[in-house]
Amino acid sequence: MANILLTSSGSRSCPDSFARNESSGPNRGQWLSWENLIYIADFLRTSGQRKVSLLGGEPTLHPQCVDFILYLIDRGFNVTVFTNGVLSPSRLEEFRRHLAGLPLEKLDLVCNLKDPVQTPAAPQEMPRLHNFLAVMGPWTQAAFNIYRLDFTLDFLFDHINRFSMKRRLRLGIAHPVPGSQGSFISSQDLRPVAARLYSFRNLFETYRISPRLDCGFPLCKFSDQELGWLSRSGSHSPFGCGPGLHISPDMSISHCLPLSHYKRNSLFEFDSFEEINNHFSQWLDEIREEIPGIYEECDGCRFREGGGCAGGGLCRIIRRFQGEASIKPAGIEDEISNYRMSK
Amino acid sequence: MRSPTIVCPNSGSLLQKFKGRPVALRMNSCDHIAEGVEHLRKSGNTLFCVIVESDRPLAEIRLEDHHRGIPLAVLAPAAGRFRDLAAHLHRLRELNLRLYLPCDHPDNLTSLRILSSVGLHCCAVFGKGRIDWESLADLATYAVLERSPHAPIEPFAFIVSNYPASKRLDWGRAIFDDPRHFLHLDEDGRVALSQAELGEKRFIAQSLGEIGAPDEFPPIRERLRSWRHYFSNNHPCAFCAGWKICLGKFSPSLSEHAGCSEFFTEMIDLARRHTALKVAPQEQRIWRL
Repeated sequence: MANILLTSSGSRSCPDSFARNESSGPNRGQWLSWENLIYIADFLRTSGQRKVSLLGGEPTLHPQCVDFILYLIDRGFNVTVFTNGVLSPSRLEEFRRHLAGLPLEKLDLVCNLKDPVQTPAAPQEMPRLHNFLAVMGPWTQAAFNIYRLDFTLDFLFDHINRFSMKRRLRLGIAHPVPGSQGSFISSQDLRPVAARLYSFRNLFETYRISPRLDCGFPLCKFSDQELGWLSRSGSHSPFGCGPGLHISPDMSISHCLPLSHYKRNSLFEFDSFEEINNHFSQWLDEIREEIPGIYEECDGCRFREGGGCAGGGLCRIIRRFQGEASIKPAGIEDEISNYRMSK
Repeated sequence: MRSPTIVCPNSGSLLQKFKGRPVALRMNSCDHIAEGVEHLRKSGNTLFCVIVESDRPLAEIRLEDHHRGIPLAVLAPAAGRFRDLAAHLHRLRELNLRLYLPCDHPDNLTSLRILSSVGLHCCAVFGKGRIDWESLADLATYAVLERSPHAPIEPFAFIVSNYPASKRLDWGRAIFDDPRHFLHLDEDGRVALSQAELGEKRFIAQSLGEIGAPDEFPPIRERLRSWRHYFSNNHPCAFCAGWKICLGKFSPSLSEHAGCSEFFTEMIDLARRHTALKVAPQEQRIWRL
């Protein structure tokens, strides 16, 4: 699926944001133009793609956010918008008037919620978030980014019930963003995360909410019992880290948000989505040739070799390269050197 | 030369003054479309299309299901917000409709691209304002070479479809501005060669009856041959690489239209590329020298 960045501007600073690189880089403050959106839509349509995600920064800050969503839906795409749900009253009114009536399968809003105790929001944010969920709740699925080991999920179940949100909970994990100093869960701490997640099983089942794991979770950190529960819950957890085309407002593309500084090309250099996939897959293979996964035991792991697990997120693997002696893939070495020089 | 289409206001009494002519009915609002078409049919003329000249953005113009089947040309100053247009797109796509926007505003160039991409046949109208020729060339490239399905954008689609390698091409027909194909009448039945000349009250006849065979009527004949003056007067346009499809349309304000030459030269190139893409090489089945 293609991820389109409508803007690199955000409305709040999150300690665990994947988009730190993007929103602090040269693209900061850029808006995606109509011309570029039409080019992207044409590009994806001719490549047979029917799903797009809109990201930021905060995509709802884009003045034409509502128009872009309606346009992409008219072009036949199912649209997912990743938002923090903190919308100005005027923007929320636009959502209510123009989007709160669309078929649920056409529009999916993914709202990243913060724990009100562990990560309290600014005083003006909570009323706005609740207003947003009161209007757009049925189109919205809750998302939570795990960036500390003592995380709780109770408040999420409360929100899902209160605002009639979709009965799915998208769980991401805070990955290290190479070249950035944000909070993240270390690879060694992924087992405690899996165990803690499983400890909320009763709540998931009581409220009939399905957990959906985002990219980068390694399969081996879940017990068979935990995997059985995920599977029965309809989690469809891929334990993968494949290229998801990520398009910035300046039409540069990258593998994903945490790696937006790496292997960056222009969308105009490619003729199809498949060509881009091959481009990044080749890069991925080169890296995994050197380091197969985030753990030593990934080398020779039958589940990784069989495609059941990607061996953790590429961003974690690249982080392992940093500080090491010279390595084979010249592209990565150059990127790391550039980063060091820019520091 | 076939009988030109008569572009005239929606007036029952005016329509009674001639018979058996193709007519494009001009009106300011969609509210009277059905009534105008009814008048026209009763008058013994045939409907070419209804031209709605609105001063409101397209998004605010309400075209209804009962307009289906009527050829419509809607001229508006702007497209308006996409969010307001979105709810009506399914209806608009089912109409026999062409949307006209002036291209002397950058927002309209974007709007034309949007309209085309969502399947609405549209047309860039050259106004009196300053044209961003480079952006217009981008739009023409999109219109002609974009692989993803999209509706035609005139006059680019007309130019590339009718481009003659060895002759000149007048694309004024795409915007009702070609006396071989369109004559414009005011409420009193007086005839002008174009909509602009009608506005300036530069009439060539007091009624259609004066004209007779159009290609022998001196003002029309003179207009059709007017391109020759560029050569006899050594006008700079006559030496321009884009002449064949521009025909000096922008010569009165050449200094303000810096960039028109590059645009029309590029347009010729687009027409060539379009032709090359369209004509598939024939399979050689028989061996021959």
